[in-house]
Amino acid sequence: MTAYPGTGPVIHDPMTLPSDDNINNYTFCVELKGSEWFLQKGKMIAYYGSMEFNGIGHGRLDRLVRTSFHSPLHASDWVVASGSGKMLLADRAFDVNSYDLEEGNLTIRSGNLLAFQPSLALKQSIVPGFLTLIGTGKFVAASNGPVVFMEPPIRVDPQALVGWADCPSPCHHYDHGYMTGLMGGLRALTGVGGTSGEEHQFEFVGAGTVLLQSSETLMAEQATGATPHEPGVPGGGGVPGGHGPQSGSPRLPGQLGDLQRRFGL
Amino acid sequence: MFRLQGSKVLAVDMTGDAVKAKNGSMVAYDGQMDFKKTSGGGEGIRGMVTRRLTGEQMTLMEVKGHGTCWFADRASEINLVQLQGDKLYVESSNLLATDGGLRTGTEFTGMRGASQGNGLFTTTIEGHGQAAIMSDGPAVVLRVSSQYPLTVDPGAYVAHQGNLRQSFQSGVTFRTFMGEGGGEAFQIRFEGDGLVYVQPSERNTIGGEV
Repeated sequence: MTAYPGTGPVIHDPMTLPSDDNINNYTFCVELKGSEWFLQKGKMIAYYGSMEFNGIGHGRLDRLVRTSFHSPLHASDWVVASGSGKMLLADRAFDVNSYDLEEGNLTIRSGNLLAFQPSLALKQSIVPGFLTLIGTGKFVAASNGPVVFMEPPIRVDPQALVGWADCPSPCHHYDHGYMTGLMGGLRALTGVGGTSGEEHQFEFVGAGTVLLQSSETLMAEQATGATPHEPGVPGGGGVPGGHGPQSGSPRLPGQLGDLQRRFGL
Repeated sequence: MFRLQGSKVLAVDMTGDAVKAKNGSMVAYDGQMDFKKTSGGGEGIRGMVTRRLTGEQMTLMEVKGHGTCWFADRASEINLVQLQGDKLYVESSNLLATDGGLRTGTEFTGMRGASQGNGLFTTTIEGHGQAAIMSDGPAVVLRVSSQYPLTVDPGAYVAHQGNLRQSFQSGVTFRTFMGEGGGEAFQIRFEGDGLVYVQPSERNTIGGEV
């Protein structure tokens, strides 16, 4: 709205609001015409028309949920918007963008995903804290700062990672110096001293696209529920509640639990 | 004359006239300026007492002089509002500056205020002139007309102006208590004729939790 100095703010009404497009960098407008969208709780800021917001457990939505929602652990964070009208979505004044998937798959940090069309299927990624969208359709995601698209092979900072598409899951990468020498040993033991905070990265290989945000501010992690306690499930046995993606990584020898993570290792 | 410099700094060109601005929001000035603390925003004793009683406190200063004065507050986005005899309703915490000639006051908002986590009262600004309001992220201005009523999340509401009726909607059902709520349990519905300012971010409200 500040793009037109002197002319005053742009005033929107239902006729001038875009359909399934951004109003500005921070606000996205979804048009519902008797259709449905999944959206994360509390991300709707305003709407015109008549709409209903129902929890995933709502009986009438059973069929829809069966075909497009496969993440029971996130069910309490999601609602289905149905009706007709135009709805504005936003999230803590973060940048909001929509993406189109065509017969594709994309994995995204669960806190960053705001809304998606039911033509996409939402599944839980085996990387804890991440969700995978499969199919064709549009989804809306938030990021702190604009999203940058990169191609593997690439190593990225864990805090800057938003998601990835069409490429195999990332692995952890620790810089070699972290493990060697007396100082390295000490660091590994205590997690303090002489660290640059960049020794730990996620490594992507193969073909695909990696989405990064241009900041290291994480979206508040959504309560993602616990991964089932099953042998062979990464993050299984984790504590319920918000957890970074690293919670699934195996403990290195001498790693002092989460203390080390706080020091940026 | 209010103008935006970027989206987070308000520049006011003055030729002997006065503006009211949030205390301490001046970041720079050019020319001859006079800063005066005004008690109760120039609303007199009655206004002061009302504000104290209602918790809608607002510490304004009066800036008068010749030149240009720049205002900003915690890197909030600033939105300019033009008032032509109509009334602007805004939370005192979201108000940055107004023309000296505008009248400010306090009004009861009822459940809407409570649901926003903002208290039961709101600030009104009335008259002819400009006002600058702040929001977390650039505000989107939405027009409400008789055929297009608007529903807003209380946490994203910033201000409204014009002749609007607002009603409070609650979507709390037994599902809410079973943890299957729609996540938008409280909404404000605006009907009539006017403008509503919403910000792309939500304050923490009771409604956001259910």
